Amino acid sequence: MADQESKKAGGLKGAWQGLRQTIYGMAAHDMSRSALRTRASMEHLFILITMGDLLGVPILPPYYSLRLLPYVVPQIATWKRRMLREKDASDGMF
Amino acid sequence: MNTLWVVVTAVVVIYVAYTQYAKRIDRNVIKADAKRATPARMYMDGVDFMPTSKNVLYGYHFKSIAAAGPIVGPITAAYIWGWLPALIWLVIGVSFIGWVSDYSAIMVAVRNDGNSLSAISYKVIAPRTRTILFIFIFFYLLLLAGAFVGILAAILAARPDVPFGIIVLALMGLLAGQMMYRWKMNMLLVTVIVVAATLLAMIMGPMGQKHAPNGALIQGPIGSAIVSLNKTVDNMNGNQPLFALQDPTGADPRIPVPGPDGKRPTTAAYDAATGMIRTLPDYLLWMVFLFAFSYLGANMPIWRFAQPVNYIGFWVMFITIVLSGIGALTAPLTGMKDAAGNLIGAFALAPVKSLGFAIEAGKAWQPLWPMLFVTIACGAISGWHALVGSIGTARQLEYETDGLPVGAGSMFGEYTLALLSLVAVSIAGVGGGGGRFATGVGKLIYAGTFGLVPEVWGTALGFGAFVLIVLTVTQLVFRVMRVTLTEWVGDVIPPVRNMHVSTTISMLLTLALVLTGTWVYLWQMFGASNQLMAALSLLVVTVWLRSEKRNPTYAMIPMLFMYFTTIFATMVTARNLYVTIAANPKMGALPVAGAWAMIVLAALLIVAALFIGWDGLKAYRRYGATPAALGTKEARS
Repeated sequence: MADQESKKAGGLKGAWQGLRQTIYGMAAHDMSRSALRTRASMEHLFILITMGDLLGVPILPPYYSLRLLPYVVPQIATWKRRMLREKDASDGMF
Repeated sequence: MNTLWVVVTAVVVIYVAYTQYAKRIDRNVIKADAKRATPARMYMDGVDFMPTSKNVLYGYHFKSIAAAGPIVGPITAAYIWGWLPALIWLVIGVSFIGWVSDYSAIMVAVRNDGNSLSAISYKVIAPRTRTILFIFIFFYLLLLAGAFVGILAAILAARPDVPFGIIVLALMGLLAGQMMYRWKMNMLLVTVIVVAATLLAMIMGPMGQKHAPNGALIQGPIGSAIVSLNKTVDNMNGNQPLFALQDPTGADPRIPVPGPDGKRPTTAAYDAATGMIRTLPDYLLWMVFLFAFSYLGANMPIWRFAQPVNYIGFWVMFITIVLSGIGALTAPLTGMKDAAGNLIGAFALAPVKSLGFAIEAGKAWQPLWPMLFVTIACGAISGWHALVGSIGTARQLEYETDGLPVGAGSMFGEYTLALLSLVAVSIAGVGGGGGRFATGVGKLIYAGTFGLVPEVWGTALGFGAFVLIVLTVTQLVFRVMRVTLTEWVGDVIPPVRNMHVSTTISMLLTLALVLTGTWVYLWQMFGASNQLMAALSLLVVTVWLRSEKRNPTYAMIPMLFMYFTTIFATMVTARNLYVTIAANPKMGALPVAGAWAMIVLAALLIVAALFIGWDGLKAYRRYGATPAALGTKEARS
C-alpha cells in the first residue's frame, strides 16, 4: 500500500518517501516485527488455552470459552493458520 | 588506481548485471507475476506473513544480510593476495552468483508457501537433508562466533581508545530499551539521545592522544584509564602470559604489522624475537567482556538489549558508510590530502601481492583458487542471505515482481559495502586488519566531510563501527546458536533446553576455539561453511527448478562452482592446519589440540556437504525422469 502511495506521489516526493521507507526498513522494521510477534504469541497462547477445542485440543471450561468467543472470532482464522503451520528451528531465527 | 574508479566500476557492474542478466532471469526463468498471490497475501497473519512495501523490505533485507562478512573478508583477502584479485572476485561473484543466490532463495520460498529452505529441502530433496542442515548451521555459527570473538578481543586489548565507546554502547542499549518500551518515549528523541551519546563516547576514546618525541603514542585520559585497567589485570599474573603460542600464518590480529624495515616490532602481546603470541590476562578480560555482552544479547528479552543495541549500531554504521561513500566519490575529484600529505583517493596497497599457487613444505598454502573465494564471503555470495531471504523476506513479499529489487538489489548493496571496505583498506597505507580499515575510513570521512571531521575522529568512528557491526552480529549468533543447539540435542539431553545452559555451552566451545585456534584458518573455515551453505541453497533452487521443468542452468553452474570450490577450500584449510600446526614439532599442546579440533570440524562439514550433494543429485535425476512436477503447488493446481 505504502509502495503504491510512493508511486502515486512520483518525482521528488516519491523518491523521498521511498528513502524514508528504506531507512525505516533498515532501522526499525525488525523491531516492529518482533513486537508484533511477541504480542501475537501471547494472544495465540491465550486463545489456545481458552479455545483449544477448535484445534482438537480438549478444553474443559466451555462457559468461559463461550464468554470470550465474540472477542476471539476476528483472530480465529489467522490463529489457526499460525498454530497449525509446520515449523522448525529456522523459523525462530529471523 | 583511485577510489573514483572503484565507484564507477560498482555503478556500471550493478547496472549491467541487474538490467541485462537479473531481469532476464526474472522474466524468462522464474516468470515473476505480479498477479499471482504471494504467501504474504495468501496466509496473512499480521505477524510472520504480512505484505510489506518493497522499499521497507529492501531496507530490512539489506540490514539483515549486511553484517561483518563484507568488511572482514575484503580486509583479509587484500592482506593475503592484494586488492586486485579481491576486486575481480567481488565483481564476478556478485554478477553471476551472489544475486542469484539471494533472489532465488526468496523466490523458491515464495513459490513454496513461504516455507524455509530447510523445509523445502525436506520436501524436494530428502528428509535427512533438513537434519544435516541444522547440524551444519550449528558448526557454521560456532566458526563465525570464534572468528568474530577472536578479532574483537584482540582489538579491544590492543587499542585502549576503542573499549570506552563499546561500554557506552552497552549502557545506551539498556537505556534505549527502557526508554522505548517501558517509558514509551518518543522514538526520535530516544534515537538522538542514545546515538549521540554513543558517537560522542567513540570520539572521546582517542581524545587527548599525542605523540612523544620518540614517536610513541601517549593516550588521552580515557585511553590511559583503559591502559591502567589492562595493566592491573596483567599484574595479577606478574605480567606473564597465561600461555604463549605461535601463528604460522602471521595473520593473528594480535601480531603487529611489519614496520618500514620489514620487521615486526615487539609488543606486549607479541614477542618478535621468538614469534610467540603472548596470551595476557587482559586479552582474556576483553573476551569475558564480549561474552558478557553477548550473554545479555542472547538471553535477555530481545527488546531489552539485543534490539536497541542493533538499532544504535545501525545508525552508527549508516553515518559511517554514507560519509565514507561520499569520501570515496569526492576524494579524487577534490584532490584532498591526508595529514601525511598523501592523496586520500589514491590506493597505497599493492594490487597483487601473491597468487599463492606455489606449495612450500611445512608452510600454509593459500592458492588464489579456491581460498580467495571463501575468504571473501558475504560481499560476493553468502549462505546466510539465503537463510534470511527464505524465512524473513519471502513471507513479507507483497508482489512476486518485488523479489528482484529486494533480493538482487540488497545483494548489490552488500557488494557496494564490500567494495567500500576494500577501498578503505587499500588507501589506508598503514596498520593491519581492523586497524587498516579504520584508518582508511578515517581518511574517507575526512574527505567526505571536506575536512570538517578530523581524521582521528573518523578513525575512531571507523574502529567503533567495525567493532559494533561485528559485536551486534556476535550477540545474535549466540542467540541463534542456543536455539539450534536446543533443537539439535534438546530431546536427548534435556538440560540443554535451558537457555542459560545452551548459551554457556556455545560460549565455552567458542572460547576453546579462540584460545587454541589460528585466526585466519578460523575465518577461512567460516567462509567455506558459509559459501557451502550458499551452494546448498542453490542446490535446493536447482532441484526445485528441475522439478518445475524450468531451465536450472543459471543456478546450477554457480552451485557446482561454489560446491566444489568450498569443499576443496575446506580440504586445503585442513591440510594447512595439519602441516603448519598439528604436525609441527615446534608447536605447543594447545594449538595442536585446536588444530585437530578444526580438522575434525572440516571433515564434518565435508561429510555433511557430500551427503546433501548426493541426495541432491538423486533428487535431480528423479525429477528429470518424472513427466510432471512433483509436490509443488503449481502442479497440484
